[in-house]
Amino acid sequence: MERGIAESREGDWLVLSVSGEVDLSWSQTLRAAVLKALQSATALAVRLDQVAYIDSSGIAALVEGFQQARSRNQPFILLAPSPNVRAVLELARLDRVFQIREQLD
Amino acid sequence: MSAPALLRYRFPARAEALATMRHALQDALRARSVSETEITRLVLAVDEASSNIIRHAYRDCTPGEIELTVTRARGSLRFRLRDFAPPVDSRCVRPRNLDECRPGGLGINLIDDIMDLWRLRALRRRCGNVLVMFKRLGARSGRGKRDR
Repeated sequence: MERGIAESREGDWLVLSVSGEVDLSWSQTLRAAVLKALQSATALAVRLDQVAYIDSSGIAALVEGFQQARSRNQPFILLAPSPNVRAVLELARLDRVFQIREQLD
Repeated sequence: MSAPALLRYRFPARAEALATMRHALQDALRARSVSETEITRLVLAVDEASSNIIRHAYRDCTPGEIELTVTRARGSLRFRLRDFAPPVDSRCVRPRNLDECRPGGLGINLIDDIMDLWRLRALRRRCGNVLVMFKRLGARSGRGKRDR
């Protein structure tokens, strides 16, 4: 699965669709994309159904985005995390911190 | 006599080399009929440990290499990661409080959760550090911990 981040709009939401394996070699790219998107988005959704693998550095990029969004009162959600992503979120007890949805309304 | 290795894999201590290491480890564990759920967790733990070596142990020197050796004995898998970096003070390697929501520092928590036992020691006479992690096959969750 190719690594990549695609941007789209669905209503008020800016959607970042992430694919591939997110590890130490690429998590800074994800971090930069999330922080940049928050500059222009009213609300940000990060779609994770095509993420085959994520490590703690990838999770850290999402946490940083979440914190920045919270400080600006911007909605920030994780959309349809793959089983592997969900497993890491649960291990890190972050499944209770992030707002996670299977789809945008 | 030590158990034969399921995998011996030496790779550059660079982030770009992690994916190939993960795939080699996945293949080795699949060949031994380890469950997919367990493979996912074990690969994550080894990847986190390797990332820590790259980010912290080799931080102040030219990145060298990492040797991964996986063996199986008495129903447990043993993962040994050997680096050639300056000695790491193992007292500084500890999990963080998960009640704090902040980016970073989760790697040791994940290793703690996945593995049954791990120990890190610096090689005093030779350059480098050795991290050994154990996982009993079939055991649901580690929460074991560091061997003092």
